[in-house]
Amino acid sequence: MFEIGRLCLKIAGRDAGLKCVVIDKLDDNYVLIDGQTRRRKCNIKHLEPLDKVLKVKKGLGHDDVLKELKKQGIEVKEKVKRIKKAAPKTEEKSAVKKETSKKEEKSAAKPKKAVKKAEAKPKKTVVKKAKATVKAKAKKK
Amino acid sequence: MPAGRYKSRSLRRVYTKLSGSKVVVHYKKRKPSKAVCIVCGDALKGVPRERPYKMQNMAKTKKRPSRPYGGVLCSKCMRAKLKEKVKNV
Repeated sequence: MFEIGRLCLKIAGRDAGLKCVVIDKLDDNYVLIDGQTRRRKCNIKHLEPLDKVLKVKKGLGHDDVLKELKKQGIEVKEKVKRIKKAAPKTEEKSAVKKETSKKEEKSAAKPKKAVKKAEAKPKKTVVKKAKATVKAKAKKK
Repeated sequence: MPAGRYKSRSLRRVYTKLSGSKVVVHYKKRKPSKAVCIVCGDALKGVPRERPYKMQNMAKTKKRPSRPYGGVLCSKCMRAKLKEKVKNV
């Protein structure tokens, strides 16, 4: 019943109501299917055989399966890949951000050091002064 | 003794444990009846039984199984319906 090339209807799960072709027989109970459904292992109980058998080789690729289905007038909706569309925008933005951030870092790095030096110097002088006063007091004593 | 309005059983009683081994009765409105398959009348699996204010905040994917006729037909009736459709075409 479920020989290779048999056109089937998936009747269980989220792919229910979609048509598919048997590509490989894995087991007494399981077959590999592809077509409008995802390419996946499937229990025979979840398939309803239809009247057509397509000329399909064992383990045929996804694109070739779609071609065979098109000959039968069964079209497959292509999935819209959202991730790829969003990716270039973020890359551009991130690239711009990187450039700006680098510039900022360069411009920001110099004054920071200067500030640090400015901060560090007076402290030392204060300490020195304090030491000097302590020494002076000791001498006086 | 409970107040007069809580004596009737129109509200369900929820016993909640508090700290200090106290047990308090909370009165809550009753849950609606189970969702049912239109064809066979069996209770639907995967459809939560909650008051509308809780259902509102739930995601759509949590309110029904993600298959054709999900939340309307049970899986058996859905299979029968799909098979019928194919045979008639």
